[in-house]
Amino acid sequence: MPRYAMVIDQSRCIGCMACVVACKRENDVPPENYRTRVLEIVQGTYPTLTTEMRSELCNHCDNAPCVSICPTGASHHEEDGTVQIDRKKCVGCKACITSCPYNVRYINEEHGYADKCSFCQHRLREGKKPACVATCVGGSRIFGDLDDPESEVSKILRRVGHRVLKKEVGTGPNIYYINQYPKRA
Amino acid sequence: MELSITGTNAITYPVMHVWDWRVAIYLFLGGLSGGLMTMSAINYLRPGRKGPMQSVCCWQIPVMAPILLSIGLFFLWLDLERKLHGYLFYMTFKPLSPMSWGAWIVLVIYPLMILYALAALPDEVKARIKNGFVKNVADAVAPHLSKLAKLNVVFGVLLSIYTGILLSTFVARPLWNSAILPLLFLASGMSTGAAVMIIIAKNKEVKLFFTKLDIWLIFFELLVLALMFYGHYTADAAHRAAIMPFFNSSHDTFPYFLSIITIGILLPLAIVLKFLEVTGKHTEEVSGFGLFLMNTSAIFVLIGGAIIRFALVYAGQLSGYGYNMM
Amino acid sequence: MAFSRRNFLKYAAMSAGGAVLADTPFISAEARAKAEGGNVKYVPTSCEMCFWKCGAVAKVVDGKVVKLEGNPFHPQSRGKLCARGQAGIGQLYDEDRLKHPMILDGPRGEGKYRKASWDEALTLVAEKMKAIAEKHGPEAIAMMSHGSPGDYFTNVLKAMGSRNIAFPSFAQCKGIRDVAWELTFGHKPGSSCERVDMENSRVIVLLGTHLGENMHNSQNQEFAEAVSRGAKIICVDPRYSTAASKSAFWLPIKPGTDTALLLAWINIVISEELYDKEYVEKYTVGFDEVKEAVAEYTPEWAAQETELPMRQIVEAVRELCRYAPNVVVHPGRHYSWYGNDTQRARAVAILNALLGTWGRKGGMWLPPKAKFASFNDGNPAYPEASKPPVIKGNFPFAGGEGVTQALRDTTINGKPYPIKAWLVAGTNLMKSLPDQRLTREAIDSLDFFVAIDLFPTETVMLADVILPECTYLERHDGLFKIKTREAGVAIRQPAVEPMYETKPAWWIGSELCKKLGLKEYAVKGDGMDAWEDRMRRQAEAWGVDFEQLSKHTGYVTIPDSEKPYITEDNQPVFGTFSEKIELYSEELEGEGFDPVPQYEPVEQPPKNMFRLIYGRSPVHTFSRTINTQWLWELHKENEVWLNKKEAERLGIKNGQYVVLENQDGIRCNRIKVKATERIRQDCVYMVHGFGHNAPRLSRANKSGADDQQLISKYIEDPITGGTGMRVNFVKIIKEA
Repeated sequence: MPRYAMVIDQSRCIGCMACVVACKRENDVPPENYRTRVLEIVQGTYPTLTTEMRSELCNHCDNAPCVSICPTGASHHEEDGTVQIDRKKCVGCKACITSCPYNVRYINEEHGYADKCSFCQHRLREGKKPACVATCVGGSRIFGDLDDPESEVSKILRRVGHRVLKKEVGTGPNIYYINQYPKRA
Repeated sequence: MELSITGTNAITYPVMHVWDWRVAIYLFLGGLSGGLMTMSAINYLRPGRKGPMQSVCCWQIPVMAPILLSIGLFFLWLDLERKLHGYLFYMTFKPLSPMSWGAWIVLVIYPLMILYALAALPDEVKARIKNGFVKNVADAVAPHLSKLAKLNVVFGVLLSIYTGILLSTFVARPLWNSAILPLLFLASGMSTGAAVMIIIAKNKEVKLFFTKLDIWLIFFELLVLALMFYGHYTADAAHRAAIMPFFNSSHDTFPYFLSIITIGILLPLAIVLKFLEVTGKHTEEVSGFGLFLMNTSAIFVLIGGAIIRFALVYAGQLSGYGYNMM
Repeated sequence: MAFSRRNFLKYAAMSAGGAVLADTPFISAEARAKAEGGNVKYVPTSCEMCFWKCGAVAKVVDGKVVKLEGNPFHPQSRGKLCARGQAGIGQLYDEDRLKHPMILDGPRGEGKYRKASWDEALTLVAEKMKAIAEKHGPEAIAMMSHGSPGDYFTNVLKAMGSRNIAFPSFAQCKGIRDVAWELTFGHKPGSSCERVDMENSRVIVLLGTHLGENMHNSQNQEFAEAVSRGAKIICVDPRYSTAASKSAFWLPIKPGTDTALLLAWINIVISEELYDKEYVEKYTVGFDEVKEAVAEYTPEWAAQETELPMRQIVEAVRELCRYAPNVVVHPGRHYSWYGNDTQRARAVAILNALLGTWGRKGGMWLPPKAKFASFNDGNPAYPEASKPPVIKGNFPFAGGEGVTQALRDTTINGKPYPIKAWLVAGTNLMKSLPDQRLTREAIDSLDFFVAIDLFPTETVMLADVILPECTYLERHDGLFKIKTREAGVAIRQPAVEPMYETKPAWWIGSELCKKLGLKEYAVKGDGMDAWEDRMRRQAEAWGVDFEQLSKHTGYVTIPDSEKPYITEDNQPVFGTFSEKIELYSEELEGEGFDPVPQYEPVEQPPKNMFRLIYGRSPVHTFSRTINTQWLWELHKENEVWLNKKEAERLGIKNGQYVVLENQDGIRCNRIKVKATERIRQDCVYMVHGFGHNAPRLSRANKSGADDQQLISKYIEDPITGGTGMRVNFVKIIKEA
């Protein structure tokens, strides 16, 4: 069974938002809701500034608070390590939204269920990459199987120093960030 | 630092507002009904109590407890995004989910509350019941009042404490994520329960007893509150940041600042009033002024308890790790 | 079947990679649809959310476009689409679209229209045009356009005998640059795209080029690749842009002084003998003249002029030279800044020449070698122009795309002859031309104004007749010649039938020809298949497999066309008079201009005013996409960037709404302040295209502020007629 993960090369992110719109279209995300977002964090004072570009999405945590808090089992782990939502089981209590340290969930206003990034599960089944990865103009998003030592993500994580977001919360996230800042001089 | 985020969900950014007043009301009423269960049962069970032994205090209290809980749950239900899917809570049991526990505990607590209320009904009230089945049940459980009362002490505590357990399990919300939070809600629930006892009870001795008891409960509540802030203050950056809204009078956080000020005035004032009451000279009946003091302090306690729930529900959603802290 | 080698390798890598996760190889749109079964259809086509013309593949389920993806074969998209490309469906299903022909029913500008049939509307247009042509001559009819619809109406005007056709893409954008590079190298720096080999560059210099914010797909892919490889970016920009945030050197230059920096750099390159001697010797003329002309432009002087530290100026150019010739000074795109812009572009071209980047790996690749047979489908030649067109104004080097404001001036003053009718297709002139007052005055003086567009923009809503075009997802357009490293041909074809009563521009143009009695210029054959049949004939003339193009790959390569770098048997051809790179331009000298760029200072803002500069958002194309649902959601209104210290001095908070007032007393819509460290203290910046004054654009109307409204002053570049638009000064009014 694969164990899916995403590596985000922050130095390659040019903040173009292609991922954000691709995700919205692919998954019919309702107006004003998002499954992924892009942060631009600028530090320093003129003229010595640095920028971190960081795209964020569901971390598909190994130790996912949303899964343990869910009273009905709607939020659950799949065998491929991803965290998914069984919409039929969701009562819309919003505990998962509150419990997520990454603030990546929202309520589908029309149907009332909680929703979030699914790593484009339906595309994975067709052998495609998630929509955001497929269209990432900067090539910043890299997707693959951690259990396959030859996958691109495994290779990168062996070779390059990486971090996860809010590690201190202890959720065991599966989105890995590399090259926080672009190389300089 | 300049942060810009493109593509955020309004319910989580810039400020999380997933749960609102409906949840706060539930937490308050849930705690209060737990308090009523425990307090009325304690009154019945305590040794050396004067007055008619078949009465737990006044019969309205045990009846109020399930009604208040139902109102609370009604508000919680109102908060559900898929109200018709509520039954799904009972299609499964998730041992790791405090919400699942909560749903099932309610199923245990309701019968206990209702049987206790029926058992405690005085004869003249029972006589007015038209429904034969209810009357029969009430008659059947009446001899078991003592056992039911003991169970109500325990489950009242559980119910009160549960309302805090749910929030305390949210690792993502540092303000809530403390094992002391259930204790705070327990103290507050019991204290508000006692306050209602004071207001409703007619018997002077009962009123005085709960006034005395409430002094200790409020002391305990304030102590736990202080400990919670102190614990957060000495914990990691996220926890420390989480309590800052309460100590910052700027525009954005003024409601939280105000809530702490209000609690800091109301609850100690209630203690003082109660202290004056229990140390004062008493005639056979409570004087009008005495009654006024007692009820005022009890109302202070209720307001304080509600403020604690509202302030914590909202402020907890401001807290978080990473850029939530900023 | 012609796959390019590049694509083939990518495709091979894709399928050989992870067995599970390699994207299903996109061999053929038809095969893919068959594999997925059901009512799924994949239609390869070309995007028109901007003008980079990426290859896109539309996924159509039950007759609805549900997803757009990048075409992996197309070199401009390489399997990816940007946010706008992804949001194309939003344009297609936008409720605010023009839905049927409309005829003005009341005074112009009041926005009262009545519905009309196509026949009625086209008959009216033809009658009016004929009447005006008879009374004033055909040259009294002018056209302005942007994007694909232009071709079809150019045909109409030329057939009538008018050559008064102009595109804002010249004088308001890249025309200036193209002329400068043609003067220097005899070629534009690119047609489909800038021919910059960023993928392989070691150093990339960007002057006011906002990659990342200016989202030209493949170019940004290469930029990210370069950044990732550790290429050094030298970014010259008064604003800390996305590109600046990726750079090793950010040079926050004083606006208007770029030429000073470039001339000092040229001086350093020459005086420190860092240029490519062999290359300069072999391929250029006029080196000594340049050497002499730039001698006065010392780094000390430039430091003073540009307000950059001298050390930074020198270090940056030395770094650039260290890796030459595998470096590039990006030619840029939008060039109409200060009214002396040809010379700035010349300086960029000269610097590239001295470093020997033209035809070198990591520099500028050579144009692909491909000849396309001329094809006009047997239409007769156009009649001679009745009178010389006015589209070149008084600008000796104005290009064939024409100078829009020259047309506007003639319309207003009637000199040398009257212009009485405008056809405007696919461009919102109120937002693309400087000084809206003049645009409005010109429109008010017209006898007849017809607009062909998708949306009821402020310009469209001034027209006498409005003809609704269908979107790019509902129509065919000509086969596109794509010139990247290789040459290729791409197709645009409908993913779905046109919605409402909209029609493709080719049909509108063709029907108009018929109504004008110019049937011989119309598309051959009747019915909606006529154009597709013409495309088949065109493909045949070009030797391209139309089935392959339309059903399978959407793009085909012209074999053996990719010859990007100079080798012994692949020598560059320079289309200049001397057939060499003309560092010193005798052509310019002949018209009385500086043959080597010289520095002329620009006017600086008065006290308490800021220079207004503008740029782009990665999710919007000018003013065209603001109303598109998903893009509007992401960027609803623009902000004015103001240096934090200045904001503090003025007592303005971040996020506060203000109003800007320019030197002519013109005030814009209210706009939010972004108080930031990311901009110099002497200028303010906003994203172009917002602040629509078009009530029928339900989302975009009055959202943000319109920079073009504040650009009431412009300085024309005397060489090309480009309109310098960064010459406006604004003050900030706190009460919004």
